[in-house]
Amino acid sequence: MDKARTDTFAQPSIKFKIDKFIVIVVTVCIGIALVFFMLFPIGTILKMSFIKEGSLTLENYIKYFQNPRISRSLYNSFYVSIITMAITTILAFFYAYALQRTTIRGKGFFYIVAFMPLIAPSIMQALALILLFGRNGLITAHLLRISWSIYGATGIIVSEVLYCFPHAVVILYTTLSAVDTRLDEAAQSLGASSLKVFWKVTVPAAKYGLVSAAALTFNLTITDFGNPVVIGGDYNVLATEIYSQVTNLFRFDLGATISVILLVPSVCAFLINYYITKRSFALISGAARPFLQPSRKFKKWGFTIYCGLVSFAILLVFATVILGSFVKVWPYDWTLTLKHFHFPSLGGYSSIWTSFKIALAVGLLGAFFTLIAGYIVEKKRPFGVDFLYLLSVMPAAIPGLVMGLGYILAFNYPIFFFYGTSTIIVICVVVCNFTLGTLSSVANLKNIDPSVEEAAISLGADSVRTFIRVIFPLSMVAFVQNFIYFFMRAMTTISAVIFLVSATVHLAAIEIIQLDNDGWTASANAMTTCIIAIVVAMLVVLRLLAGNKGFAGFGGATSAPSG
Amino acid sequence: MAKDLKLENLTKIFGALVAVDSVNLEIREGEFVCLLGPSGCGKTTILRMITGFEIPTEGKVIYDGKIINALMPQQRDFGIIFQSYALFPNMNVHENISFGLKMRKMPKKPMRERVHEMLDLVGLYDWRENYPAQLSGGQQQRVALARALAPNPSVLLLDEPLSALDAKIRVRLRAVIKRLQQELGITMIYVTHDQEEALAIADRVVVMEQGKIKQEGTPLEIYKFPKSSFVADFVGTSNFFQGKRQRDKVRFKDWEFLVPALETMSAENIYLAIRPEKIEVMRPGETPEAVERSNLTHGRIEVITFLGAVVRLVISMDGDEIICDMVEKDFELKNLNRGDSVDLYFPPEAFLAYPLSSKEELPE
Repeated sequence: MDKARTDTFAQPSIKFKIDKFIVIVVTVCIGIALVFFMLFPIGTILKMSFIKEGSLTLENYIKYFQNPRISRSLYNSFYVSIITMAITTILAFFYAYALQRTTIRGKGFFYIVAFMPLIAPSIMQALALILLFGRNGLITAHLLRISWSIYGATGIIVSEVLYCFPHAVVILYTTLSAVDTRLDEAAQSLGASSLKVFWKVTVPAAKYGLVSAAALTFNLTITDFGNPVVIGGDYNVLATEIYSQVTNLFRFDLGATISVILLVPSVCAFLINYYITKRSFALISGAARPFLQPSRKFKKWGFTIYCGLVSFAILLVFATVILGSFVKVWPYDWTLTLKHFHFPSLGGYSSIWTSFKIALAVGLLGAFFTLIAGYIVEKKRPFGVDFLYLLSVMPAAIPGLVMGLGYILAFNYPIFFFYGTSTIIVICVVVCNFTLGTLSSVANLKNIDPSVEEAAISLGADSVRTFIRVIFPLSMVAFVQNFIYFFMRAMTTISAVIFLVSATVHLAAIEIIQLDNDGWTASANAMTTCIIAIVVAMLVVLRLLAGNKGFAGFGGATSAPSG
Repeated sequence: MAKDLKLENLTKIFGALVAVDSVNLEIREGEFVCLLGPSGCGKTTILRMITGFEIPTEGKVIYDGKIINALMPQQRDFGIIFQSYALFPNMNVHENISFGLKMRKMPKKPMRERVHEMLDLVGLYDWRENYPAQLSGGQQQRVALARALAPNPSVLLLDEPLSALDAKIRVRLRAVIKRLQQELGITMIYVTHDQEEALAIADRVVVMEQGKIKQEGTPLEIYKFPKSSFVADFVGTSNFFQGKRQRDKVRFKDWEFLVPALETMSAENIYLAIRPEKIEVMRPGETPEAVERSNLTHGRIEVITFLGAVVRLVISMDGDEIICDMVEKDFELKNLNRGDSVDLYFPPEAFLAYPLSSKEELPE
């Protein structure tokens, strides 16, 4: 090979040598951040639950199962979660069916109403139910004059159904839009009755969506904290038990143990959902949807009434809480007043302001980092990308409450300067919701032709400039969607941050619980109303700024699998 | 020294698949070379290794005497045209074309002049404010051409640039590309699976199959003297017969064709190939006396397809379908119809013969 020796090697210039490493450096940084802010806290919890005085032991678990009052929380959690799962999945399926497969009027209205629960903390449902069906409820005590009240399992189930509903609708709506309606028509043309078509064609075709919606609902319910803590009364579930062990009894070891027990079903539900979603997305084809034949009168009326009732229930929750924050003494004195907005708690309005600032930071950072993570995972695929992907989707399997507990156990040392500040709250909320942000970024990036990026590179753009000039502008829609998603999560989440608020950092969503706990129910309603108002205002502002663009996938970007 | 591009022993392996198998190729400065082959033959992978988007598993990409394997795509000074146009949808035509110049930090004024020059070159000056979505496919690909040429690259690489376009626009744009290549004297490497396009546009055609170069030569060489049955089948249309050698003839069913090409070979089992336009179709009884009688057969017309100046006949010859092309004038003169019995003459010198190895399958 004499000839080869005469050829000289062309070496890349320093600039591009550096460029080669940028992707790797960013990948490693995000990976380390996720390990540090997710695996490390969870590892700390595991360590605390299994290790006592330096040796491995199951003592904590034995203690848990030996105490009937505490261990009952496991049974209770499963009980309410399974019933909620069944009810929500069925309700949401028919609702989605009505929106996708019938020609009822007012679909736009029903669609928006279905997603309304996403803009409020998962405590609002419980607050509303107590105002309506509580010991002093408008309907129970005053209209029907009965002594029954909704506290306990029933209350948790009803409030969770209302809270989980939009998440299940998102999945089933997408599933039904993907299943080819021509199948239905083909079956009908072969002589099958409508009911038969429904059971033999429509339902089986949507089975992945049904399982996925059920798994997600189960996960949301078993990990939710806000609703059970308000309406559960003595009915303890895993999430409330973790809180009471830690906050009231300072039993961090038991709290950690129950967290691990809660982690098991929620990881399982996540895995089922993850596996199913992967499969069902393969079924979604880009086939054009044929014309929807007009529904018959009976079907049309039936589904209109059905959607009307479900929408009424959702709207009733909102109306009750908002009204409850403006009347003097519910349900005796209906005089309108603003006095409940003079918050008697420590945080007051400053907590709303703090929440807003934190939500802005979470929105921007969350949208930015999930876009970069999605870009690396989908487009750059450096060595070790599968590990980064695993880290990015893992947060959905971890209940917010467990993550929060992990944070106080792991970071409560002076060297972690961010502990006790709003920084740690921002980090925790971003990490808790990282999964969905990444997935929606990936979905968006998949739509960008890989040649476009290669064109930029071949024209001389380095990685950073390709990202800034081409990828980012083309991802604007996903970015705005993710911003909204992260913003809403930060404004409304309770479980992820309840352990992280401190004497100096108060959050609006947490104030609701404290106000309610101290008996200031009307002010708790008022605080909820404020949060709703801020989220709605943000949605309106973004809609005005971005036109309709950012809202194209509003539903799609908001099915949060973590509590 | 001319800026030649040389591929030495270039190999790319994806897992268990050898996509490109020790390819050696030299492309001279200013040459227009077409890589032609069926999908999956490795032609695009070669192009991507030249651009730097794929790293060769083995071998070298040498440009201007330097091994450029380690260079990033940004530094290679090669323009690329993609099948999907790959315009930046968030930028208008002017911004798209100026992108590469901006990346090179060209000052504002000369940049604008250069962009306008490019716009004139592809005839899209009036469209400079439009966004890609507002343009037709053909216009978009012209913008892509202007964008790739704006930084004045020394080599332009085109990856199936016309495959996404309508037949008519494809032919028109083909002429535009050819004209640009000749005017600018730029080296072009053009990947396509369309043999007609390759023959029409290139100075040199490189036919590939399963990661290997099967044959390279001028379009005329490739078409007239395909070196293998694969090339004969892939480039243009051919009729194939598989038969046993009988001295200077090949036995196929009941016929024994005289094949002069056998003189230079020793194989027993033979492929015969003949181009449709070489076969003479005649009404029975109108056969001239001076033909080689053993190469005369007969059949029945099954299908008649008008292809404009040429008429294509499918003729059943004892159960085998033979494709014959006739000049439209001849066809009219002979007044042929579907179902007619005809005589077929296979001129001996029109037969191409290939040894049949046990591995090779008869092309369908």
